Amino acid sequence: MNRRRVIVAALPTAVVLVAAVVLLVVDRRTVVVSAPLGTMLLVAAVIVAAVTVVALVWRAHVRRAVSRAKEDATGSAAAEHRRFLDRLDHELKNPITAIRAAVAVSDAATPQLASIDAQTTRMARLVGDLRKLGELQTAPMERVPVDPGTIVTDVAATVGDAHGRDIRVTLPSAPWPLPSVTGDPDLLFTAVHNVVANAVKYSDPGDTVEIRGIERSGRVVVEVADTGRGIPAADVASVLQELARASNARDRPGSGLGLALVRTIVDRHGGTVTVDSHEGRGTRVSIELPVGVG
Amino acid sequence: MSSEAAPRLLLVDDEQSITDSLAPFLSRSGFDVAVAADGAEALRVIASRHPDIVVSDVVMPMVDGRELLRRLRRSGDATPVILLTHVGESGERSAALDEGADDYLNKPFDPQELVSRARAVLRRVAAGAGGLVSSELVEAEGLRLDRPARRVWRDGVEVSLTPKAFQLLEFLMTRPGEVHARERLLSVVWGFDFAAHTRAVDNRIAELRSVLRDDASAPTYIETVSGVGYRFTRSVRRA
Repeated sequence: MNRRRVIVAALPTAVVLVAAVVLLVVDRRTVVVSAPLGTMLLVAAVIVAAVTVVALVWRAHVRRAVSRAKEDATGSAAAEHRRFLDRLDHELKNPITAIRAAVAVSDAATPQLASIDAQTTRMARLVGDLRKLGELQTAPMERVPVDPGTIVTDVAATVGDAHGRDIRVTLPSAPWPLPSVTGDPDLLFTAVHNVVANAVKYSDPGDTVEIRGIERSGRVVVEVADTGRGIPAADVASVLQELARASNARDRPGSGLGLALVRTIVDRHGGTVTVDSHEGRGTRVSIELPVGVG
Repeated sequence: MSSEAAPRLLLVDDEQSITDSLAPFLSRSGFDVAVAADGAEALRVIASRHPDIVVSDVVMPMVDGRELLRRLRRSGDATPVILLTHVGESGERSAALDEGADDYLNKPFDPQELVSRARAVLRRVAAGAGGLVSSELVEAEGLRLDRPARRVWRDGVEVSLTPKAFQLLEFLMTRPGEVHARERLLSVVWGFDFAAHTRAVDNRIAELRSVLRDDASAPTYIETVSGVGYRFTRSVRRA
């Protein structure tokens, strides 16, 4: 509450208090009020109710202020993080461009040139992917009704065909199918695709990969579960961060940006991503999206 | 290629570490290369040397790449320009294309890719389609596209397209005859090109074909180039 509102709220009380003090000093007359007990109780009830209402309003206001402050802090941390990635991108792209140009113009017989070229290409890809991730946080996004069931079925077919794997899909049909979510169908496909592709990548051909669609408390949940290698407990909390890779994932190629991309897309749709995993048993990634709004 | 026939290319970048290597590479790739360190110097070189193509960084002191492009187009100079985009905003790229850049490449890029793009732009110009990228109204066999108004007509009847389908048609129509890879189209229209999601391009092409009544097996406008991407097949003119 700002200072002006506090003054306005306290002013009547202050006026009455001043009047009371003045009357106590200059006027010693006594007022005797006679009223039925019921009326007195009624007045007492009204006063208690008014105090309670004021206290509740005040508490709700304080809570709102605290939550706004928290949101602001989270927002400014996200903005600071984004500025850092922008600076990193900005500072790396010119040196990498210069190295790539130098490699291109060098004599092909130069020792280690192929290795320099390969590593620079790798860095260039990483910088490019970081930028794409940054762009995705602010890029204009379509907002149309999207059927999550269609997305899940398409992803299962695409990833299954590409890797020769059987991906089980379970979608509800009763009492009704999954409701629509609002968002960008291309981005939502990308998010689910990345999670399913990860499940296939970190599991063996004999392992199970399942996608389940559930409607729960006004939200659509898409769970992607596998019986693959799982994520070490120490790494589970960080796998959704940029460049984070589980310590047991080093034998597979990857940039550590796939799940960060998923989180960015789902964030932009007002949803959440959670990861549950046991090393050696498997992983379940849950994408939760609000129904009908995004 | 003889030196007389070599296309004149002006490379504009304030990073000497880049121009020091990129200029000799472009020369070796068959271009007659001049270098400018910023947009102001580039304008002077363009006036005196009349390059066939300009490759310019975006973020530079004095006159930056986009301002250079704007000044060129405002003065009616249609010299093709490839921008080396710097700013990590997808809006920056589409704005550059809207302002009349012929193509763009994100830094850091593969120098060989720059050579391919420069040659593609020069071929487009040689085929008489160079000015299309800075035209507001373009037409091709019953198809009319108004870029600033974001409107499309087929045989005089206005059709309705989603924003991405419009962008895709605009990009293809202003670069007719060239094969555009799906990944490239993804990057241009969506601002991202994460592999494996090129089906988004196929979906929008399907939307375009349906709205424009274009038969995929006997296309009037958009041809599928198997395993690569798409090509706008008709000749396009300024309206």
